[in-house]
Amino acid sequence: MTANNEMEGAIEAILFVATEPVAQEKLCGLFPGEEKAEVLEALEGVLARYRGDSARGVMVDMAGGGARLVTRPQFHGYLRNYFQVSSRTKLSMASLETLAIIAYRQPVTAPEIQELRGVNSSGVLKTLLEHRLIRIAGRKEVVGKPFLYCTSKGFLLRFGLNRLKDLPPLEEIDELLAGQLEVGTSGEADRDGTSGTLLLWQKQEDEQEPSASEEEE
Amino acid sequence: MNLDSSDATRSSKLPASWRVTLPEFEGPLDLLLELVKVNEVAITDIPVALVCDQFHEYLSLMEELDLDIAGEYIYEAALLIQIKSRLLLPRPVGAQEDEEDPREELMRRLLEYEQMKAAAATLAETDSVRSGMWARPSSRRDFTEIGEEGEAEAIELEEVSLYDVLLAFRTSLDRYTREHPSPLHYAGESFPVRAQFERLLGSAQQGRPLDLVDDLLALSCRAEAVAAFLAILELSRLQLLRLHKTDGGSILLYRTTNTLAQEDLEAIQG
Repeated sequence: MTANNEMEGAIEAILFVATEPVAQEKLCGLFPGEEKAEVLEALEGVLARYRGDSARGVMVDMAGGGARLVTRPQFHGYLRNYFQVSSRTKLSMASLETLAIIAYRQPVTAPEIQELRGVNSSGVLKTLLEHRLIRIAGRKEVVGKPFLYCTSKGFLLRFGLNRLKDLPPLEEIDELLAGQLEVGTSGEADRDGTSGTLLLWQKQEDEQEPSASEEEE
Repeated sequence: MNLDSSDATRSSKLPASWRVTLPEFEGPLDLLLELVKVNEVAITDIPVALVCDQFHEYLSLMEELDLDIAGEYIYEAALLIQIKSRLLLPRPVGAQEDEEDPREELMRRLLEYEQMKAAAATLAETDSVRSGMWARPSSRRDFTEIGEEGEAEAIELEEVSLYDVLLAFRTSLDRYTREHPSPLHYAGESFPVRAQFERLLGSAQQGRPLDLVDDLLALSCRAEAVAAFLAILELSRLQLLRLHKTDGGSILLYRTTNTLAQEDLEAIQG
């Protein structure tokens, strides 16, 4: 048990300092004598320390293929005031549409995106590249050899995904549409919401959103 | 295509609320989707005639407001008209029952677009929550610089992608051309024969004969001398100059009293 406590402490310490998501495999490499399951259990112990306790300012975020410490969203305003940093640029609807297409259809070319959206998207693609949410993954062997676009690691981090597979399946989106559920882009309203868990793809959460934005109005 | 907005009967078809504020759409498909929603019809069973009219109505409204109608809208409008006309055409006798619905393609695109729009909305929702989560700034990211510039964005040093490299290359090319203006080109001066006419006639006018060799030697280069020589031959053929040989062997040029109309001179190939 002492070994376990020590591992938990060590993992927490690493998360505290790390600037990039800490991958599980890397953690396992730190404790050569331990079984992988033991290490994962210790990591789980660290996660438990931060989970659910909304009085804390930080939490563990599992995204981009690893774990990292992040601040809880409800303290965003204080951080912004203290550090005097502008908030992260909000993506336009055109950017989000294009990003969604790339996320679900990757690798995909600009003409294919245009076909789907009905409008030219080259400006949007440039913005997304600059935000490092997508990357060029080669060229397609068709006439004109257009670039193929894929989502980047930055995309996973920004949207809280570990793998692309964690994207909500399209069937779920269809259900959402069938249920006439308003998934409006309620933006600011959610930021200070008290949604503690960040497994945002849970449907229960989606269903709570409309009421939250109603209160705002 | 008729984008005439004065048609009162058609104007009434557009949802009344749109008359006050013209909603903005992400594109023609977005507009179509909204029309489907407003009319409370299913994507799988679009009343094309109605939607087509409303679509055009929107375009004429845009025109009224002097907004640029993007080509994509025109394209989609044309497609709608095409579908509408195909629906109006009588079916050939004995046509298959399961013949493809002309709306099939539009239907498929709208369903796909609707799906992606919903996916985008989900992303937006997630993003708005997660944008409030701050991670420890990467050690390579410098927060101290921001304090002075106020609201400047954080400088992030990250992995370089192909796009960055391309962009850097383009920038360096731009800068190179800016900092290294193209050198002065000496475009080999040309010496038209015609230019020599005036000079020779002018020089010989003063009553003093010109020495051919002296004259040619005084010129700037071989090419000019060749041009002058040709001009002398031409002028003597036209009898505007007369050539005499002195005892010493040098050739002198005399201006004759002949005059030549300007157009004749210009007619000579230079």
